[in-house]
Amino acid sequence: MTDLILKIEKLHKSFGEKVILNDFNINITRNTSQVIIGGSGTGKSVLLKCILGLIEPDQGIISYNNTPLNRDTRKEINFYDEIGMLFQGAALFDSLTVWENITFAIKSKRKNDLREIALDKIHKVGLDSTVLDLYPSELSGGMQKRVALARAIAKDPQLLFFDEPTTGLDPIMADVINNLINEIIDQVGATAITITHDMESAKKIADKISMLYKGNIIWSGDPGEIECSNNPYVDQFINGRSEGPIKINIKD
Amino acid sequence: MINYIYNIPHAIGSNVLNLFAHIGKISIFFYEIIFCTFTLPLYFKTFFNQIIKIGYNSLPVIGLTAFFTGSVLALQIYVGGSRFNAESIVASIVALGITRELGPVIAGLMLAGRVSASISAEIATMKVTEQLDALTTLSTNPIRYLVVPRVLAAMLTLPILVLIADIIGIMGGFVVATQSLGFIEQSYIKNTFDIIQLNDVISGLIKAAVFGFIVAFMGCYHGYNSTGGAQGVGRSTTKAVVSASILILASNYILTSLVFNS
Repeated sequence: MTDLILKIEKLHKSFGEKVILNDFNINITRNTSQVIIGGSGTGKSVLLKCILGLIEPDQGIISYNNTPLNRDTRKEINFYDEIGMLFQGAALFDSLTVWENITFAIKSKRKNDLREIALDKIHKVGLDSTVLDLYPSELSGGMQKRVALARAIAKDPQLLFFDEPTTGLDPIMADVINNLINEIIDQVGATAITITHDMESAKKIADKISMLYKGNIIWSGDPGEIECSNNPYVDQFINGRSEGPIKINIKD
Repeated sequence: MINYIYNIPHAIGSNVLNLFAHIGKISIFFYEIIFCTFTLPLYFKTFFNQIIKIGYNSLPVIGLTAFFTGSVLALQIYVGGSRFNAESIVASIVALGITRELGPVIAGLMLAGRVSASISAEIATMKVTEQLDALTTLSTNPIRYLVVPRVLAAMLTLPILVLIADIIGIMGGFVVATQSLGFIEQSYIKNTFDIIQLNDVISGLIKAAVFGFIVAFMGCYHGYNSTGGAQGVGRSTTKAVVSASILILASNYILTSLVFNS
């Protein structure tokens, strides 16, 4: 029997008449890196927000370690203490220094202990102690992403979420972030769920890739299989062709 | 023509639904603030930071406004009073006008312009940049962390600011009356202290606490519910200032007529 950390069944979410997730199902096995790819507006971010409890789904069940998640159970099982999230734009708190950002969620510790934890995490993401007292606005985009990554792993989470981790970064920095994600997943021993449309990133960090289209998974497989998926949608997406079954509505 | 006829009930219906949705959202937001205020944890560091930002940093603006309001009030009362040969009432009217009405209202409106706008822009930007979502994923309730300290700080600091505005406003009247209208300093001060009662000052301070709540609540509410990127941040800021200003003036009338009219 596979060890599932996250199970999503018949998830449905729409905004007005626009259906975003339609009968969505996925099983995430513990200690794997699951990447969900898909074009803009296919529901990737909505899916992540539903899992995190930032958006209430219309229907469906999201189970974490066999516990169905809702507002109450997330509190009961301390869900947010067991996860880490890397936001697309880093989402660091402007008014706090780097070390305060990293240790934000760690309560009941003295300042010196918190700085020690921040230092340990900042080393893990390839930065040094000189950035600890800087504010996010004093950092480059790549450094902000690394600090955000350090914040995501500050509590040694079981489940890590990455929302477009390489968006807005140059190819070299994107590769650095991909390597860091792989190292951190190995170090922390966590399960990772990444949503992205960057195929290089997906192939590099995934144990399993699924493609989301019109609110549902249309293909799943290993990264090595994606080039020969025989799925015209996947084929069009990974080769970045404008011609194919995926129609882009320019008016939208 | 028929389309227009159909459109009228449609427009009325959609506006009524929007109004109820708005009232519902405000009520839930209000309930969450009350709940978070009376349950732990309270973020004292953020609260003290907000006291500095909202209270201390607003002192120059409110002090200057109060001084000029007191000054111009003395000039106007002198002109009005001289028509009835009652120039001597300047000190009394300035003192009562500032403590009972103008001190709290002017300070409230200045705070609405300065603080409500800044709170709304700050929280709306945090929403646009996903910092509010980040708070949730870091086991922190955004209302508890961002809203409650601001509301409490505004409710605590505005009465103090109003007390200072009262003193500076009366001083403004005193300076104009003694330096340009020919009043004798001792008699002006005596008239001022003779007319003011403790109730006049306290009623102004109670109003100030209510206005402080309105200023912070409107700033937080519009910032928290901002949508639509940078344009949405601008829209929420405007809404916060306008709604806070209108609510201050409306609640001032209600408080004065129902509670402080005697």
